[in-house]
This record gives sequence, structure tokens and C-alpha cells, in this order.
Amino acid sequence: MSVESRSPAEAGGLFRRKPIGDRHGPQLERSIGTFQLMMFGVGATVGTGIFFVLSSAVPEAGPAVIISFMLAGVAAGLAAICYAEMASAVPVSGSTYSYAYATLGEIIAMGVAACLLLEYGVSTAAVAVGWSGYVNVALVNITGIQLPQAILAAPFGVPGQATGIINLPAVVLVFLCMILLIRGASESAKVNAVMVVIKLTVLVMFSIIAFTAFDADHFADFAPFGAAGVATAAGTIFFSFIGLDAVSTAGDEVKDPQKTMPRALIGALFIVIAVYLLVAISAIGAQPWQDFEGQSEAGLSQILEIITGNNIWGTILALGAVISIFSVTLVTMYGQTRILFAMGRDGMLPKVFSSVSAQTQTPVNNTIIVAIVVALLAAFVPLDYLIDVVSIGTLTAFIVVSLGVIILRYRQPDLPRGFKVPFFPVTPILSIIACGYILISLHWYTWLVFACWVTVFIVFYLLYGRKHSVLGRMLAGEDVDADDATKVDE
Amino acid sequence: MSVLVGYAPHKGGRGSLDLGLQFAHILGQSLTVVTVVPRQWSTPSLAKVDAEYAEFARRLAEQSEARAREYLLDPSVDVEIDYRAVPGRSVTSALLDAAEDCGASLLVLGSSTDGAVGRIVVGSTTDKLLHVSPVPLALSPRGYRSTAADGFSRITCAFSDADESEKVVAQAVQLGRRLRVPTRVASFGIRGATMYPPEVGLSAEDSVLDSWLEQASEAQSRLRLDGVIDENTETVIATGTGWGESLTSIDWLPGEVLTLGSSTVGPLARVFLGSRATKLIRHSPVPVLVVPRGYEIEA
Repeated sequence: MSVESRSPAEAGGLFRRKPIGDRHGPQLERSIGTFQLMMFGVGATVGTGIFFVLSSAVPEAGPAVIISFMLAGVAAGLAAICYAEMASAVPVSGSTYSYAYATLGEIIAMGVAACLLLEYGVSTAAVAVGWSGYVNVALVNITGIQLPQAILAAPFGVPGQATGIINLPAVVLVFLCMILLIRGASESAKVNAVMVVIKLTVLVMFSIIAFTAFDADHFADFAPFGAAGVATAAGTIFFSFIGLDAVSTAGDEVKDPQKTMPRALIGALFIVIAVYLLVAISAIGAQPWQDFEGQSEAGLSQILEIITGNNIWGTILALGAVISIFSVTLVTMYGQTRILFAMGRDGMLPKVFSSVSAQTQTPVNNTIIVAIVVALLAAFVPLDYLIDVVSIGTLTAFIVVSLGVIILRYRQPDLPRGFKVPFFPVTPILSIIACGYILISLHWYTWLVFACWVTVFIVFYLLYGRKHSVLGRMLAGEDVDADDATKVDE
Repeated sequence: MSVLVGYAPHKGGRGSLDLGLQFAHILGQSLTVVTVVPRQWSTPSLAKVDAEYAEFARRLAEQSEARAREYLLDPSVDVEIDYRAVPGRSVTSALLDAAEDCGASLLVLGSSTDGAVGRIVVGSTTDKLLHVSPVPLALSPRGYRSTAADGFSRITCAFSDADESEKVVAQAVQLGRRLRVPTRVASFGIRGATMYPPEVGLSAEDSVLDSWLEQASEAQSRLRLDGVIDENTETVIATGTGWGESLTSIDWLPGEVLTLGSSTVGPLARVFLGSRATKLIRHSPVPVLVVPRGYEIEA
């Protein structure tokens, strides 16, 4: 494909698009089946939020948080289906940023990248903060050592929450993950499967124990904040559905994607929603919804301790959470570094993000920068504030993908697609509506933070990325080094 | 000057002797075969245990020499060979002392016996020497055989774009001249393992490898620009999903030697193996030569 043949891609245009080329290298063998694909989805999804999202979400909606879980799940599922078509049509290393660059143009891709930094970077911080709570519970229950509060929490928080100076365990976790990533460690498919088993086991254990204290009266005042509360809580909960798109990114190696993909997605979504509902219903059955507020540190363990009167089960759950959230942090942080890496290669970010260390053959500088930023967030910002920001970023990215599917169908109808969204155009439209509904019900201050962040990013693009963009320089006829040129021309 | 081979008949095989003879012949030096035997006690014991022990050490030395002589009956080359038995508690320090005594230009060691044939298996003695030796260290793969008269065919220098890499390449070029063979510069890359679950796709590591490839080829052309290597020097970039695959993805001639530099973490003028070099050694299909940092190879 030559660059000149694409008319919308003008040299100076904000909406210049990266050509959709063939995936380089030999065609990958299609070897992934429904079950394995489903495990990707469950593995990536369960663990990001469910261990600590209840303390934020239940006070927003009351027992009706159950509806919020379903709403968020359906929205995530619809978006994931759109994601799958996009991933199969745009064969570039998969993140929404790359898809947006190829279909919607450079400036939109930059906006999406701003969202992705929230989806991956900030969620790494949020997950690390959640991990810190469970580590502390496990440590106190097993060894009796109580760390000083000053090193356990951020310096501010929602009223009624214990504050400290710095959340040190979260920082330690982030830097541990950094070292692993620099050394080129990765989580294998087998380890992922083990993690799925650990997570599901402790969550099912939680529900079984919580159901022994079930009191139907706790559901009497079902929706104290009405539909608005349900939607707001869905926004918060959306955080715990992040990762479902992992199913979609594997499109290239999936056997018979047209059948396997929706099955795996729906299967994974079904498992995830079922487990979340089980946890939510049993937790609300076990304690009045008003009690959830302030249980942000190791919430599920606290509930188990209240029910059973001893800390054995709470400790087991905490240990399960400590192990599995560690892996979630590693995987999410990895995702963030690779997205920035792709942007660095496109010239949208300085070269430091795309340089590979000769020593370790991993993007070391990139990883260190990500770790420092994530560690700062984890150290000084409390969980509640992080979660909503993650959700808003993710929802926006999902909407862009759904829009991209529609646009690409009209603009390039003949493009080979390994997987096509069923019931087009209903599915992507529903996806946009569902995500949009949750999006508009988020707090105004979340919107404010989000708007500022995206603005900063776009300004950065106008000042830096626009000039340095490899694609832009190619289109302008500039002599970009041969390696960069082949990349764009592929 | 002499090429020193550390040899023990029951450990490792004849590979080190073959490689040592090959080096001695091409460098025009003598070959010294050293066997480290147990040191005896200086105080005699009543039950003459010490005498029996001394006898054992003597027999070991004799056996070793006899076996080595048998192996080194190569009529094609004329190399002066000296057999020595050195007493010592630590094989490593005894070998280092012997190397200093005879002014060794090179220390040759074989592979330990528990590993795949054709691969270099680093035993405990070699491992220690790989972190202290002041002279270059050559390692032969398990089951290595060669005819000394054939000499070497090519020197391949493992090159990464790290600090002091240019010096390592310059050393290799010098060595190539000394051995009268062409030098080749090779960069070895591996594709990182895929992270599961694949949140950013299964092919994220491919683009990291792409970036590495670009950087490696830039670094190689810089070598040419800086005059470290000339126009005729072959450069090659090898990749694979692991070190084994990366190393075997390029062609290797019979009689080729892979040279590695020492890590900058270690002291100057000593061999000190870095983590990457350790992996290269373990997967190299040809003998490996590790050169101390800052070592001058005479023309």
C-alpha cells in the first residue's frame, strides 16, 4: 500500500489516518479455542475491581447496585463485541489507540490515548491501592504486625475514611512489577489459568459464607437513589469490567472467529456477571447497604470477619486477593507500557518511549516512567477518586471503538474482517447508548478531571505529536529513516 | 607464551584438548595441559593416610597425562606440549596460578558432563573462572572435535549496543587478524514472551522486537561509520523466541568461534560474565571465547 493513494490523509491534516496494512510477518496459526479465549476474558476482568469496588458502588445505589452490575456488564459486553470486529479489521498490535489511528484519524487517536492512560495507567494505580488493603489485612491477621497508618493510606480521602501520608505497600507493588517487566518477565497462559482459579475460588468462598448470614430485609429499600443512583454506581462498577476486551484482541489466532469470538465473549461475560452478582447479592444480604461506606480497605475480608466473628476466612480471601491482584497489576502495567511504546513508534511521543534497552531488550525507560507516575498516583490518591476516572476513560474509549466499527463499515466495506459484529448496525449503536448512558451519570468532578486531562493531551499533540508524527512526515514527503518508512508503508 | 588447557580425565572430555591444540597451533604457541590434583597435608600421619593420599594424587596426574597424550596424538601439527600436575585445594585458583606461572595467553576449558552434546555446559570451575579470569577464556561444547591443522574458519563477535561494545568488537577484529580469519559481527535478539491475558493483543512484543531490530541495525552501521569494522566485515542480526532459537537462526561454519565481551559490571582487566552473555554461552553451537574487559590482543 502506498501512502499517496489515501486521499483523506493529507500531510497537515489533524485527521490523517494510518494506512491499514497487512499484519507483518507470517500468518499466525489459528490455535485458540473458545475455552481458552474465555479464560483470557475472565482472567483479565475478574480482579480489577470486584475485590474493592463494593465499598464505593453500594453507597451510590443501595441494593439496586445489582442492576448496576448488569448494566455495566451489558455495556462492556456490547463494546467488547465491537472491539472484536475492530481488532480483526485493523491488524495492528491491539489497542484502541491503534484502531482509532487507522480509522478515525490522528487527533482522535490522541484523545483515545488519553483515555487509555486512564484505563491502564490509572487503573494500575487503583488496583495497587486495593492490593495494599488486602496485604495489610493478611499481614495483621497472620503475623500480628500492624504497620503505622501513616504508610498505609493516601493523605486525603472521602469523609470517614482513614487517611495517612503515603500508601507505601501500593508503591512497593508498582516497583516490583516494574522490575519484573524490565527483566522481561511475563505471565504465561498457564499462570493466567491458575490465577483465574484462585480468584474464582475465593470469590465463591466469600459468597457461600456470606449467604449463611443472608437477610432478605437488607433488600427492602431496594433503590434509595433511584435510576440515577443505579447509573452512577454502574459508572463506578464499570471499572471492574475492564479487561473484557482482552478476548477481542486475540482475534488473529482464534479458530473460526465468527463463531468462537461471540461465544467466548458471551461466556466470559456470563461468568464474570454471575460471579459479581453472587458476590454483590451475598454481601448485601450479609450487611445493610449503609455499612459498606468506609470499607474501602479489604472490604470483602472485613465482611467475612463481621459474619464469622473470626478472621480465618477473611485472611484466606485476603491471601487469594494478594496473589491474584499482583498478577492483575503486572498485566495492566504491561499494557500501559506497550500502548505508550506504540505511540512512541508513531512519533506521537518522544523516542524515549519506544527505545529498547540493549541490555534487557525491553523498553526500560518507558517502564520506569510508567512506574513512577503510577506509583505517585497510588501513593497519594485514594481509591474512590481513581476508580471513577478509570471508568470515564474506558467508557469513552469503548464508545470510540463502537463508532469506529460503524465508520469503517461505510468507509471501507470491502476490508477483510475476521469477525463481523452481528446485527449491525444495532449492536454498535446499542453499545454507544449503553456506554453513553453510564458516562453521563458520572460525577461532575470526574468529568472535570477527564476534560482537563484530554485537553492537556490534545494540546501536547498539537505542540509535539503533530510535528513529529512519522505518518505526517511521510505524507509531507520528508525523508524519514528507512525503518520508520517501512513501518508506515506496511 | 602458551595456551593452557585445564584438563581432568573424569570430568569433561577431550573437547578442551582439541580446542586448545587448535589455538596453540594457529597462535604459534606451546600447549600446557594442566591437571589439578589434591594437595597433601604437610604433617605426616601415623597411619600413613597422607602417603596413600599422595599416591592417589600422583596416580591421578599420571592417568591424566596418559589420557591427554593419547588424545593429543595429532600428527598434522607440530606443537610443543607440556603436561603438568598442579596441587591445589581449589581448582579455580590452582588454574589461575598455573596460568600466571607459564604466562598463559589463553585458558581453555571443556564442558561439564551433565548436559546436551554440542552445547557448552558450564560447570562450577568454569563458572568461577568466568567471573575472575585475567586471561581470555575459551570454552568447548560437549563432544567438540577438531583437527588442529584446519585452524579456525571465522570469528563471530556477539554485539549489543551497550557501553564499551565498540571495544569488544575492536578486540574481535584484532583477534580475527591474529587468527588470520574473517570477523563477523552478530546481534542476538529475542522476542519477549506474550503476556496473558493479552490486554493489548498477542502481538505486542513483535513491535518491541521491531524497535530492537532497528536499533541493532543502526548500531551496526555506526560500527562501520566509526571505522571499527571495515566494508567487508559481515554483519548479521539474529532473532528468535528464545536464545537457543536466536543463536541457531544464523549459519555457523565448522571451525567458527563466538567471542563475547565481559560485562561492564565487573572489574577492568577481568573476565566477568553478564546475564546475557551467560545465556549466549549456554546456547552457543560453537566454542566460545570470553575476553576480559580492556584486554589488549597483540597484533
